[in-house]
Amino acid sequence: MTLPFSSRPWMLIEPRAKGSGAVEDPYRASIESIGVKLPERRVTSQELMASTRHHTNIDLERLTGIREHRVCSAGEDSLSLAIDAAKDCLRRSRHAPSDIEMIIDASITRYAGGPTTYRFEPPLSMSIKEAIGAPNAMSFDLSNACAGMMTGVFLLNDFIRRGVIRCGMVVSGELISGLGTTAAHDIRYIFSRQLASLTLGDAGAAVIVERAPDQRAGITLAGFTTLSEHSRLCLGAPSPHSPGARMFTKARTIHKVAIADTPPLLDDLLLETGLRLRDIDWLIPHQTSARAIRAGERELVGRFGEGPKNIVVNVEERGNTASTTHFLALRRYLDEGRFKAGERIMLLSLASGLEIGVVLFTVDEDLIRLAPDMTPRRSAPIAPNVPQRAGE
Amino acid sequence: MSTRIESVATKHSTVSWGPFAHGALALSDRAARTCLERGGQHASDLDLLVNAGLYKEHSMAEPALASIIQEDIGANTGRLLHDEHRHERGEHGTFSFDVMNGGCGVLTALQLVDAFVGAGTAGLGLVVAGDADPSPSTSRGFPFGAVGGAILLGHHDDGDGSREGFTRFELRTFPEHAKLFEVRLEWDAEANRNIVVVDEAPSFASQAVSCAAEVTKAFLAREKLTGEDIDLFLTSQYPLSFAKETARAIGIPLDRIPIVAPELTRAHTAGPIAALESAFESGLFARARRTLFVTAGAGITVGVALYEQDPPPDIDV
Repeated sequence: MTLPFSSRPWMLIEPRAKGSGAVEDPYRASIESIGVKLPERRVTSQELMASTRHHTNIDLERLTGIREHRVCSAGEDSLSLAIDAAKDCLRRSRHAPSDIEMIIDASITRYAGGPTTYRFEPPLSMSIKEAIGAPNAMSFDLSNACAGMMTGVFLLNDFIRRGVIRCGMVVSGELISGLGTTAAHDIRYIFSRQLASLTLGDAGAAVIVERAPDQRAGITLAGFTTLSEHSRLCLGAPSPHSPGARMFTKARTIHKVAIADTPPLLDDLLLETGLRLRDIDWLIPHQTSARAIRAGERELVGRFGEGPKNIVVNVEERGNTASTTHFLALRRYLDEGRFKAGERIMLLSLASGLEIGVVLFTVDEDLIRLAPDMTPRRSAPIAPNVPQRAGE
Repeated sequence: MSTRIESVATKHSTVSWGPFAHGALALSDRAARTCLERGGQHASDLDLLVNAGLYKEHSMAEPALASIIQEDIGANTGRLLHDEHRHERGEHGTFSFDVMNGGCGVLTALQLVDAFVGAGTAGLGLVVAGDADPSPSTSRGFPFGAVGGAILLGHHDDGDGSREGFTRFELRTFPEHAKLFEVRLEWDAEANRNIVVVDEAPSFASQAVSCAAEVTKAFLAREKLTGEDIDLFLTSQYPLSFAKETARAIGIPLDRIPIVAPELTRAHTAGPIAALESAFESGLFARARRTLFVTAGAGITVGVALYEQDPPPDIDV
């Protein structure tokens, strides 16, 4: 059962290079639409730090580059954010809800029915598909910390490449700012293991992945691995004796190992794709803090002697929105018209686990062109059911 | 190319709380290790590890429990990532994550692992599922026993195009019955703590059987099979008597159901793994040409999967 790979990349990736022993998939997947939901209420880092029980002397904004983040109001929770993001995604899509064949919810926080009711069963994905009108889609929830949505895209990429489905959605709603409230109550020093909790903001995001119309655009490669020797560096759970939850992070250690372990993994992927780092137009890493992202950039340039053309930082007005960060950044840059068709974007996940994942894709003209308020039509024409081979 | 079941294992805890009780993580770790041992594989051979267990210590939300299990069993934890000779030695990583789909979590995880293992993207995958009451002293109505299980799945390439391994999966939901079974963690101001609350309607068990029978009958019809064609019937253990009632409703003879040890009959997500282990031990699995998995859980969610083996064994059950 050990595959005869002569030079295996460390990550589990798809597609594998020719001659690897893996089946050559007939189709290619493409990111078609991205939707988001941001709560209206804003809380600045200054306001959050003014609410701490102890005098901490921490300048959170200077430390993280986060000026403010969004916070849910009454009536909003993980499920409502996810549903609103899914609806926004469909409004921007050519697809009708009935086109969606698989719906994956990837929320870390599972608040449904209020901010103190955490749902285990039934799955949130079932409620989401009902709310958006896709009752026949296969649905399930997954949990992979802040890499959840990226894991969902990794899975959809596989199902679409093999021709099992043509169109799927990954969605997540994160009511996670409560961790910051708990931290503000507990925190005393800058070295507190709850410091990272102060960077968290609430948001919902959704992405539709479809069968690509041709081999030029779409997802070139998706890969993931879990460096589990670091699995206990960041632990989040409901508080035993207060509403909400707590998260304990060894922030410096997790930052150090993420910076050390990402380059050899990227080395493998670049070898597999025949690309160089400078061929990447936009690198969108998981959005933790501006300082951490810039430190990662310096490490990459030091290691490779070059860097991607642009590295996206989107924390100033959003904070760290957990599993949704990549898609919030994508939506914002699409709205601002920053991407051009044909550009290469690398989404890089760095999450508790330690999960490291990459989705590398080429910007499709449709993704840019689709109007922000497009009303869903009848079933969209999807790429024909004729297998496409590389090079066609 | 196909995905085959290589081995299976379960572990259970006879006491639910106190110093001798085992939590979901310990049960999952032990089941995973035993499963690998029974399959003659080493943890470092794993490419993929998916955990489908729901109820765990502290109701931990992150990281995925799968990553902790991966570390505990020593599956490519990352220590060799910086080894300059790793490429020549074929060293590789393991990708782990959790699926949360209640009673159908294991079938969902099997479908996801099958996607990568069947196509040869991954060589070896492990599905793990374990549950234990996160706080036995305060939970209300928690009906599940402390059981962990694991199934090892391997890639096979016979080159003859034979139809073996998992051949079809189906997952359906019946949201009109969503209220019949709900589990949540909610803040109890009076008790000053978060409490696991299980609400199960008296009609949940019969409705789960009814939904499962509807989906399975349609599934078998599409496969041009009848209940008689199924040699082995493996199901969720909860609701209790789900296996027999569903078999009756579909027309599958009751002798196609393995007898599950009493200590495993309250397994939640690991329910179908308990049934599979029993079938492995009794020889039913080895002799079955067609094995049908049917699971049910909150939602109501129903999962169905067909597993076929060739050449046809002597079906003398």
